[in-house]
This record gives sequence, C-alpha cells and structure tokens, in this order.
Amino acid sequence: MQYRHVQVIDGKGALRGIAVDGDGQLYAAGDSEIKVLGLNVRWPTSRPAHAVAVASDGAVYAGEIGQIEIFDGAGKLRNTWRDEKLLGRVTAIGFTKDSVLAGDAADRAIRRFDRGGKFLNNIGKDNPVNGLLIPNGVVDFGVDAADTIYAANPGKHRVERYTPDGKLLGHIGRFDGIDPAGFTGCCNPTNVAIRDGIYTTEKAGPRVKAYDFSGKLLAVIATDVFDANCKNMDIAVGSHGRVYVVDTVKAAIFVFERVKA
Amino acid sequence: MNQDLTRRTVLAVLAGGAVFLVKKANGQIVWQVNAARCINSRLGDAGVEACNLCTTECVVALSAVRAVNEYSKCGRCNICPAYFNITSAVNELGQPSEKLCPRDAIARKPIGKVDPEDPANNFYEYIIDEEKCDGCGKCVIKCKEPLGLGSITLRVRYDKCVNCNRCSISRACPQNALMQLPIDQAL
Repeated sequence: MQYRHVQVIDGKGALRGIAVDGDGQLYAAGDSEIKVLGLNVRWPTSRPAHAVAVASDGAVYAGEIGQIEIFDGAGKLRNTWRDEKLLGRVTAIGFTKDSVLAGDAADRAIRRFDRGGKFLNNIGKDNPVNGLLIPNGVVDFGVDAADTIYAANPGKHRVERYTPDGKLLGHIGRFDGIDPAGFTGCCNPTNVAIRDGIYTTEKAGPRVKAYDFSGKLLAVIATDVFDANCKNMDIAVGSHGRVYVVDTVKAAIFVFERVKA
Repeated sequence: MNQDLTRRTVLAVLAGGAVFLVKKANGQIVWQVNAARCINSRLGDAGVEACNLCTTECVVALSAVRAVNEYSKCGRCNICPAYFNITSAVNELGQPSEKLCPRDAIARKPIGKVDPEDPANNFYEYIIDEEKCDGCGKCVIKCKEPLGLGSITLRVRYDKCVNCNRCSISRACPQNALMQLPIDQAL
C-alpha cells in the first residue's frame, strides 16, 4: 500500500489537535480557538485548546487545561466540564456509544465519562504495570466501531487495546530502531488514529505509518516532509482514507491519499 | 562635570574589575556551560554530530566538564536514546544491543513496580558515573528535544576545574557557551 502527499494546509501560531467529522469536515484546535477548515468558521475557546473531537450528534468537544468545552456545530458554547484533577491537560477526546473519553496528559490516563459528564472510570492509569508510560506530554487514543480503545503507549513502544471499563486486551508494536515495522526512539508512537486500521505518528524523526488491526505494517505514509523537530503530531483519518497529520513546528496540516493499485 | 563623570566611570570599572579578580582568586567566580548556547543541548538543532570540544580542549587530563542528568526532567524511558545506541540491532530482550556511551559511564536501575509479564519494559533511573564521564556530549545531544526531554546537560565540575583566567574550552567553543559566573549563580 502506498500514499502520496497531496496538500499542505498552512497555519499560524500553535496547532495542537485535529479531527474529522462524519461528513469529512476537518477541525483544528490550537491557540485559543477551534477552526473548521474549508468553511472559514472559527470560534474562541476560553483556554488554549489541546484537542478537538466531533461527536455523532455534531457537538464539538475542545480539550483544554482543567476542562472540556462543548460547542454546537456553529460554535455556540453548550456546556463546560471543569475538573482540575480529572481533566489536568486534555490532549485527546473520543467517544464510545455511551461515553466520552478524555486523555489527561497531566495524570497519564484516559478518563471515561457518561454523556452528561459524570466520571465513570480510568483507563491505563496503573503505572508502571499495564499503564501508560508517557514522557511526551500527550495522551492520545482512538476508538473503533466496536468501542475498543487504542491508546498510544510510547514508553512501551506499543498501541494498546482496552475495553471501555479499562481492561487491557492486548497490544501491537515493539521497539525497533532499524525495521520500520517497529517504533523507534525513546518513546513512540506519540499519536494514534483509528479508521480501517491503526494509524500512528512518531517523533525524531517524524514518521507516519499505517497498520492493520493485527499489527502488520501496511505502509510508511510519510517521513521527510515534516520539520525534523516536530513531535506529538496529531493524526486524523477521513472516511475516504485521507490521512491528516499536524506538523507542530510549521503549524501546518499535511494531507495524504492512498494511491490506488 | 564631564571630566568628573569620566573619572567616576573609570574608577567604577576599575573597582568592579578588582572585585571580580578578588572573587575569582577566592574561587567565587567560576566557569560554567550555558546550556542555552551549547550546541549539544540547544533546541532546534536536529541531526548534527555531538560537539566534543569540552573533552578535547580542557587543560585537565580528564576534562572538568561532565554530563549531568537532571532527574526531575528525565522521562525514565526504557529505551533511553542517551543510554542505548537506538539504531543498533535489537537483542532478545527487545532492546538495542549496543550502548551509546563510549566510556560506559551511564548506569541504570529499574524503579517502581516491575511488570512480571514484561520485566525489561519499565521505568529506569539513569545515573552518570562522573569518574568515567569525560563530557563528550554524545548522551546530551541524544537526550535533547524532540528525541529526548533535555534532562542531560554538560556542566563544569568546580572541584575538577582549575579555573583558568581564559578557559581553553571557552576559546575553542564556537557557540561561546562557556561563561564566568559568581558561584552562587552558577549551577
């Protein structure tokens, strides 16, 4: 499988998180705002946004320090979940059928809430045994159609699978500094996205890869287009297989498409 | 008036210089590495080889410069790029088979609970043996962002430094990273 680089969406300031909604619309979080790319729509967040996610009902969730802000699709604030302990620094947000998940990088855990914001349980919290080893400053994860959570565990060079109630099911990935099928460096992958497979980004050097759900490497999507110093590159995958990756140094989004055989 | 001001300025400079020399003679002024200037630890310099002028230029036989790991900044990673040569072949434990330090000056020990199902994959405390370290900077450049967290930096050890008037490392350093500081302001 091969990918080609098709577009760069330039930005300014801090670009930290991206998301694609069910219609393929791309959202970006950075500085203190959410931007809907292509529609030229943007709205402010009350604190710098570290993550963005769009629920199936169109609500836009912004992850921030100490809180999650929930907006409607036009940017009108619907609700704020504030908890300095459980939402220390929210660097990823995702959804299962009946719950909202937030990656708290301050405590290196994924928090699970019901749709009303009531805390249910932690995922990947019991460091160092079966927990997330996160030296990078971000917790990132994706969720598949069966509500399995795929969390990047960079300190263990893995993507780990968890049930919504926090049970570790298994993992893919291993360290390897030479073979591209492995994850290199001290702590990779830093970010992960789930669609028809597992998509990962790594730092030093920056690299984007696609795996199937068994952990078989399908493609090295990109390496050398990114600034060598970027890290914690958020990744999102659209329904048509378009892969969006944040270059955190250039504040740009790189877009890749699968090359048809 | 202008003449008076000039005289006062000259006297102030002379007095300042005299104080500096007295402090230096008493060991209160020391040489130190400015990490913000050191090419090995400065952010944004990716893919360059480590500069080892601190090792080769110091007049002391085993340089007075050492690599120091600031524990509070360290990620305690299992695959530490300052400890391992991360591009070497993977061994049976799933780790790189070669260490990075040419003098084997970095040791480590597991901290926290050891995962019985995955005992080699743990948090580690990294300790630099200052009797072996010669300040070559290889670990420093591997620890810096974005690969590492920048917890290892080079520092002059005052008990080993002979405090030359014009430090020979500072004369060679292309980044002008060696600076003189009052000891209470130095690391």
